[in-house]
This record gives sequence, structure tokens and C-alpha cells, in this order.
Amino acid sequence: MRNNKSTKGPIQDFWNEFKQYKYGIVGLIFLIIFIILVIFESFLIPFPEASSRWRDITYWEDNPRSVPPVWINFFSSKDYAPTIYFEDLEFTENQLSPTITTMNYILEYDYDYDVPPVDIILRGRFEGNFTANIVVERPDGATINLVNKNFSAPTMRDFRIPLVNESQNNVRNFVRRYQPNVPQNINTFRILFSQADENIISNPQPLKGTYKFNINLIKTSPNTVIEEPRFVVSGSVSGLLGTDNSKRDIWSGLVAGLKWALFIGLLTSAISVGVGVIYGTISAYYGGIVDSIMQRIWEVFINIPLLPVLIVLSAIFQPSIWTLITMMCLFFWVGPVKTVRSMALQIKEETFVESAKALGASNFRIIFKHIVPMLIPYAFASMALNVPSAIVYEATVSLLGLGDASVVTWGQILHDAFSGGAVISGYWWWIIPPGIAIALVGMTFAFLGFAMDTILNPKLRTR
Amino acid sequence: MYWRYAIKRILMGILIYVIIIFIYSILFNTVMEETLNGQIIEIVNGEMLKMSQVGTDPEYLLQYRQTRIQELRTLYHLDEPLPTRIFWRAVNTLTFNYGNSTIMRSFKGETDVLAIVLERIPYTLLLFTFAILIDIVVGVSLGIKKAQRAGKLMDQSTSIITMVVYGLPSWWFGMVMIMLFAFTIPIFPSGGFNSVPPPDTFLARVVDTLYHLALPVLTLVFIGFWGRAYLTRNIVLGNLQEDFIMSARARGIPERSVLYGHAMRTSAPPILTMSLLSLLASFNGALVFEGIFSWPGMGSLYWAAVQQNDIPVLLGNLSITTAIYIAGIVVLDLIYGFLDPRIKVGGKA
Repeated sequence: MRNNKSTKGPIQDFWNEFKQYKYGIVGLIFLIIFIILVIFESFLIPFPEASSRWRDITYWEDNPRSVPPVWINFFSSKDYAPTIYFEDLEFTENQLSPTITTMNYILEYDYDYDVPPVDIILRGRFEGNFTANIVVERPDGATINLVNKNFSAPTMRDFRIPLVNESQNNVRNFVRRYQPNVPQNINTFRILFSQADENIISNPQPLKGTYKFNINLIKTSPNTVIEEPRFVVSGSVSGLLGTDNSKRDIWSGLVAGLKWALFIGLLTSAISVGVGVIYGTISAYYGGIVDSIMQRIWEVFINIPLLPVLIVLSAIFQPSIWTLITMMCLFFWVGPVKTVRSMALQIKEETFVESAKALGASNFRIIFKHIVPMLIPYAFASMALNVPSAIVYEATVSLLGLGDASVVTWGQILHDAFSGGAVISGYWWWIIPPGIAIALVGMTFAFLGFAMDTILNPKLRTR
Repeated sequence: MYWRYAIKRILMGILIYVIIIFIYSILFNTVMEETLNGQIIEIVNGEMLKMSQVGTDPEYLLQYRQTRIQELRTLYHLDEPLPTRIFWRAVNTLTFNYGNSTIMRSFKGETDVLAIVLERIPYTLLLFTFAILIDIVVGVSLGIKKAQRAGKLMDQSTSIITMVVYGLPSWWFGMVMIMLFAFTIPIFPSGGFNSVPPPDTFLARVVDTLYHLALPVLTLVFIGFWGRAYLTRNIVLGNLQEDFIMSARARGIPERSVLYGHAMRTSAPPILTMSLLSLLASFNGALVFEGIFSWPGMGSLYWAAVQQNDIPVLLGNLSITTAIYIAGIVVLDLIYGFLDPRIKVGGKA
């Protein structure tokens, strides 16, 4: 422990020294970035409700399943069609008779890729009766009548027309003009977006250009209402980090998981280090029998293997995130105790503690006003170093499928990846980013912690 | 003197184990009793089925069921007050009487939890002693090099890597390694202990096992040795700043023998403790790692027991993991006390 005799105060001194460690500064910058990410979470992700509806299948249903991120187009020889949303389609309405009204919209889709989208979906909300008719005009002039479907509902409800399924028969008929033998299973979209020649099934070549989707919604009763019609091109690549096998956007999940990682890490380490510091100080200050008992209790806790206990506890009690944090705090506080105790043993002999005692200060006051404040720098360093382990422990418990299902954490994303066969299938975009996220947060706090540790521990300085 | 210290330390370890088992017993009392009650009903139902096949009087059967359940409940101390129940559960656990699994079986088909756990231990030990031995050799030698050139490029760059991998979950790295080296570039098996079917000759089986060991060991070593190097560096560096090193240098002793003769001699005990401590840490930290590599050790057992919700296996495994863990710490203290006389003279274990 060094005494800061500067007039600027210990915090200013500490900051001046901290500034000299580049990695400490890097850690600080990362921490600020993380905080910004958490604050502006809903503006940064395409699915703002990712956090609350992570396990709601309907929220993700328009996304493609298990596709890589869009930026792989920069690296791969083939171009993949990305996911595109066409919102606010302005239909032109045409009253044909008192009961029949048509709504028409021609949507131009520029296809300039080698791999077609996974699906194209028309969706919206409606009430009453209507017929949906979608005709596509391909760049080569051929037109295919894709969908003719009737809808009816007495009350407002969603409609969803996925073209891949609805248009399969029509596309089959289209192919028959060029290839009489059509196999049972055809890749509808592969054919739709390919040049029409005799190789259309065996070796399709992409037909690039503008596809005009002529969307006709024919309202067949006067009180039919159609709201929020949307057109979704569900790409063969999607989002910043791809999607998982439940069609979830991984980037959204990753950003949504950040706040939980920080929350779990910071809360656990703050509580446990706080408890540990006070425990160690009390043990050192009182000494004698109190110290002996407290050290024996500490020994019992240090001898418990944390991870297995955590696994068994979680398996038996199916914990929420709160009980998990409580359980980690119960075992993490042992970490700083020994060091704190030895530090406090030294501080307790200092003259200012003696004089405080002579002035009749209470034990409580001496501990919390005189000794603990001297230990705060050390406490901050070990708090920072404890954050990564708390995050990793949560991730580990979640990996086994024992996490809190009401929140989304990186460990749970990795659990889904592992049980979803991402390792075998090579869905790297599902495995690598969550791990890197854990490592990045860990690294940030390690940078901060190691920098503080080096400042406070003069022995570690280089010769 | 050392023996007194040793015996004291061992007794302390046993006492701590007993206390921890009591804590477990309190924590898991309710769940364990539910499982036990379920098992009793199952046993009695089984017996009734046998008796009814012989054609026993149904009136008597009902009577028998009542008394038999009562009998078993008394046997397992389920009718006694809570403190007694907790006490007997702890005593059973301490005598390795973990009972029977609900779903899982050992490789031979036994339901005895002890048998299930015991057959897993060698696999775990094999994997981790292998990994840790390589880890220590690589980590300590890198650490010495770092201390020698403290502040230089090599030291700084490896320190930064240490911090980068600090928060990296080893099992995640394992997943990436499997994806890379077992599926993308298939040069290693993706997991398991032997190929299926295993080779015939003993030698071929050993080679096959080593081949299966390669990837998990490689992964563990790659994650582990950075931290070890950093700690070694700090310990050695701390000693290099002591006065006796100063005076050795002043006497003109070559730097090499200052490092290995003087600095290393004082650094060896803490480095050794630290290394052995990581052997222990890996013992429970790598439990999840085993599941990823489907290595049939205790970690995989946790994984499987969690999935099948087999509480007796989980608790049995936990008790034995704890026992091994504490035994490791005790052995560590004994070695440390042997190497560093200050410990036992101080009298505090």
C-alpha cells in the first residue's frame, strides 16, 4: 500500500498512472462502447424485441433458417441474395363493383445474385374476404402465375403467404415447358430465378435482372379491410451475423445478451468482492478467536468445487437469473479474503488506526472509515478480474441447458448452437460470435483489472 | 515435525469434507427424499408384482404393501425429524452409500451410483494429467523467458494474449477446434475415447486413444498455458528484484545461473503449487469440456445426468468430485509444506 501525498487526491493520482497503461485505456474504451451498445440497443438491432421475444417462434418466422451473414458475399465467389423488407407498400385501389375492390401493386425486385432467396413472403392483417393473386414477370419476359388463394376471417387476423410452398405447382408447370421430366422434389426458387432452358433442373444458371411481382388483392366483400401489407424477401444470407436454426437473428441476440453479461458479471463481482473485502477486514481487525472461526469458515468454502455445485444446484432447482447470481456470490466472495486479510493486518498497525482508537472511535467506524477505504483500489482491481469468470460460469451453466429461459444470454445462444448441431454442420456464424463476445467482455475487464493490478502491485513492474 | 503438520493437515481436510457433505445434505435434503420415496414405491411395487404372480391373497398384499413401505421408510430414516434425516443422509454419503440411479446405468449395466462414478474417474484423470503436464512445461518455460526479458516485445505481446484469452471459455474454444479440425479439415476425430469399433490389438488401441486425446489436450493446453506463463513471470520477476539476486549479480555470477540457480530455487515452490492448483482447477473447470469432446469422464457424467435429470447420480458425482478436489488441495499443502519450511513452522495449516 502506498500513501498518496499528492494534493490532487488519490483518484487523480491513480488516473495519471492508469493513463500510462495502453491496454488499460483500451479496456476503458471497450467498456464505454459496451455501455453505449446497451443504452442504444433497440436502435442498433433489426429486431428490437429480440430480448423479450427470443423464444417466440412467430416473431422470427419470416427469417430464413440457418443462413450465413450478408457480408460473406465479399468473400465467396457466389453472390447470395440477402434478406430485404418491403414495407409500406402503396397499393392502388380500384373499385370494380359495389362489392369487389382490387388492390394492385407492382413490386420490382432486382435480382443480381447467384443464389436465390430462401423464400418470399407476403403478409399483413385482414378482416373479411379476399383473394390474393401474385404473378411474376421475369426479366426474360416469361410470366408465371404464382399464387391464387382465398382468405376469409370474421375478425382481424394475420395472413401470411410464403411463395415457396404456394407456388410449387405453378412453377412445376412452368418448368415442364422446357424439361418434360420434372422430379418430385424441385427447388422452387432455384427454378424461378434461373434461365429458362433445358438445363433448368439439372444445371440451372441464374437469370439476373428485374423481377416484377404483380400483387393483386381482390376484396370480395364490401367490408374487407387489409392492413400493413408487407413483402419479405427471405434471403439466402441474412443480417449482420446470420440466423440460427430457429430463424433468429444472431446479431440481435448477441446485442441483447450484452446487457445480461454485463449485469451478471458486474453485480456478481461487486457483491462478492464487497463481501470478501469486509469479511477479510473484520477477520484481520478483530484477530484472535473471531479470526480463527472466520478463517475456518473460509476454508470450508474454498474447498467446495464451484462448477459442479453450480451445475447440481441449477439442475435440481431450475434457477432464475437472480438465484444464479446469488449462488455465484455465495462462492465467489472467498477470492479476495486472504489478500485483504494480509493487507488489513498491515493497515491495522498504522498510526492513524492507533490514533483513531485512542480518540475512542468505534470498531465499526475504524473498519469502514479507515481500513476499508484503503482497500478500495485493490477491491476494484479484483472486481474487474472477477467479472469475466462470473460471465463464463453463467455461460457454462447455460451451455448445459440450465440457464434462465426468460432472458437471452450468450451461453444460451451457444447451448442452442451446440444442441442444434452447429458444430457438425459448420454454422460458424452461430458459434464464433457469442464466444468472441464473451472473450471481448472478458478481455475488457482483464485489461482494466491487470492495469489496476500492475499499478497497485509495484513488484510486477518491469525492471 | 513434518509428520505432525501432515497429520494435522489431513485431519483438517477430512473434517472439511464432512462439513461440506453436511452442507450438501441440508441443501439437497428435499430433492433427495423425493427420489428416495419414489424408489421405495418402485421397490415395493416390484415385490408385489412378484408375489401376485404366485397368487397371494390380495388382502394380504395390501397389508404387505403398507408394512413394507413403512419398513423401508424407517430403514432410510424417512420418518424421523428433519435434523435426523439430514444427519443420516450425510452419514450415508460419507460412507459412499449413494444409493441407486434412477435412469442411468454404468457401462456394465449396474445402477449403483458409486460404480457409475468410479468407472468415470480414470478417464478424467487421463485427459487432464496429460493436458496439465504439457501445459506446465510450456507455460513455465515461457514464463521464465518472459521474466528474463520483462518489458520487451515478447513479454508484452504474450501478456496481451494472456489478457485476451482471460475470459475465453475453454469449452467454446473446444467447439471451435472441433468444427475446424474435425469437420472442416478432418484431421482429428470429433470426440470419444476410441474409434467405433475400437481396434483389436492393445497397442493399436493405445495409439487410437492417444489420437482421440490429441485435440482435447491441444485445446486445453492452448487455453491454459498463457495464464501460467504470466503467473510464473510475476513470481520469478518478484524474486529477481530481491536483494540476494542483486548481490549475486554484483559478485559477477553469470546471469544464467543467477536465474536458474538463485531465482528459480526460491520461485519453484510457488510455481509448483500454482501448477498443481491448476491441475485441480482443471479438474472441475473442464467438466463441461468433456461433454463437448464426448470424453467419457466425470464431466460427461454431469452432462448426461443433467439431461436425464438423474439426481442420485448428480449428487454422488458431486460428492466424489468434492472428495477428489479436497484431497488434491491437501496433497498440495503437504507438498508445499515439504518444500517451504516456513509453512509448517508457522503452525497454521
